[in-house]
Amino acid sequence: MFRYIIEFFMSLRTSIWLIWGIIAVLFAGAFIMPVRQEFQAIHAQPLFDWLREQPLGITWWLWGAIGLLVLLTINTLFCSVESVIKKRRVTQWLLLISPQIIHIGFLFILLAHLLSSIGGFKGTAIAREGTILRMPNDVSLQVEKINISIDPSGYIRNWSVDIGYMADDGIFKADRIMPNKPSIRDGMGVYVKDIQPYPFKAIMLEISREPGAAWALIGGILFALGTIALIMLKMKREG
Amino acid sequence: MLLAFAVFPLYLFGIWKRLFLYAGLALQVVYIASRGISFERLPLVGAHDTLTFLSASIVLLSIPFGWLLKRDYLFNVSVSIMAAVFTAFALISKQHSSPLPPVLKIIWFELHVVLAFLSYALFGIAAILGYLYLKEKNSLVEGLQYRAVLIGYCFFSLSMIFGGIWAYLAWGTYWLWTPKELWTSILWLFYSLYLHARLKQWWMGKPSAVLGIIGFGVVLFTYLGVSLLMKSSHAF
Repeated sequence: MFRYIIEFFMSLRTSIWLIWGIIAVLFAGAFIMPVRQEFQAIHAQPLFDWLREQPLGITWWLWGAIGLLVLLTINTLFCSVESVIKKRRVTQWLLLISPQIIHIGFLFILLAHLLSSIGGFKGTAIAREGTILRMPNDVSLQVEKINISIDPSGYIRNWSVDIGYMADDGIFKADRIMPNKPSIRDGMGVYVKDIQPYPFKAIMLEISREPGAAWALIGGILFALGTIALIMLKMKREG
Repeated sequence: MLLAFAVFPLYLFGIWKRLFLYAGLALQVVYIASRGISFERLPLVGAHDTLTFLSASIVLLSIPFGWLLKRDYLFNVSVSIMAAVFTAFALISKQHSSPLPPVLKIIWFELHVVLAFLSYALFGIAAILGYLYLKEKNSLVEGLQYRAVLIGYCFFSLSMIFGGIWAYLAWGTYWLWTPKELWTSILWLFYSLYLHARLKQWWMGKPSAVLGIIGFGVVLFTYLGVSLLMKSSHAF
């Protein structure tokens, strides 16, 4: 029995069937998601919290995808280890190792999703100049100034928001949020999601925590390096 | 705009003579560059721009494959038709001539979009090569299809990674559960499947060629179908 399980997870055939399975459940989900209102709130809380609150009738495909991804993770680990052991005597070790780097990158990205799905946080608030908000890590944040640059045709060309982190004795750190430049402090990111110039300057702030972000970045870098190395080596080998 | 209209007949004449295809490409590159210069931004916003860029990318990236295939007539015809069809759709699509929102002015977004469309172009070429293999049963063609998919997969993966970095900086999350992201995952998994399946003897040849053709169907739905029919962050 044990040997059968090992062989099952070490098989490329298993990988192929698992990928087919994940494609099938995501395909089903791609038709369920747009027609069900419940999915509008999927980003309001960590994925697993949201999943527990929703009926299985609309989330079965997500549970199915998670289950299949767990099996694919085990399969990837087994296949990678077996491949390295089997081919360890080859001369072109970079060609051997680059697919495994891709696999490790993929697994880090899955880990990132798992961490964010468990411990992620998101909260939004509308604020004006002078508004003070209490953040989940018990630090207060004051919106000091909202700067908006509008061109003659009415388009917002640029914007920036000056904020200050407050303690009992006043602001201890000032920061400026700009497009693609959030304010990140103690793992909490402060983002401006929307900006309104009229009739008074106002912003929609989002405070979020993505515990998987760093893992996703590491995974992405490894995946990219592995893929580029693999292509370069294959091209070199084939002249 | 006249430039854009002139490209379509040139691509059609490309069916007959390759030179017209290259002339069409040169004109399309000039058109894309002129839009970029006049709007002072990456001319890759909305269906018109992206379809134009896609057809130019298909022709440009088909050049090394055409050379390796020793100027195969059917390949040339298929590339010309594909480029002409996308150009025709670009011509009837609405142009976005407004300035870029501040949040889109970042290198990660530009890399995300450019690499996505280069990968779509390579997947399109892979589908043509799949069709050619089914017609000619030439193993060289099947090998070229594999290369097109492998490089396209690399570009597509990089595009997803850069998109994630940009989304984290802009929106605070590297992933959103929307139909577009779901279809993108399906597409990425599909080509992962192709690359893994091809390691098995049984999948080489006809099954791989068919997978390469089906894959481009998934590309088209992910790109056009989802953007036009479903609500998402990537809607046109």
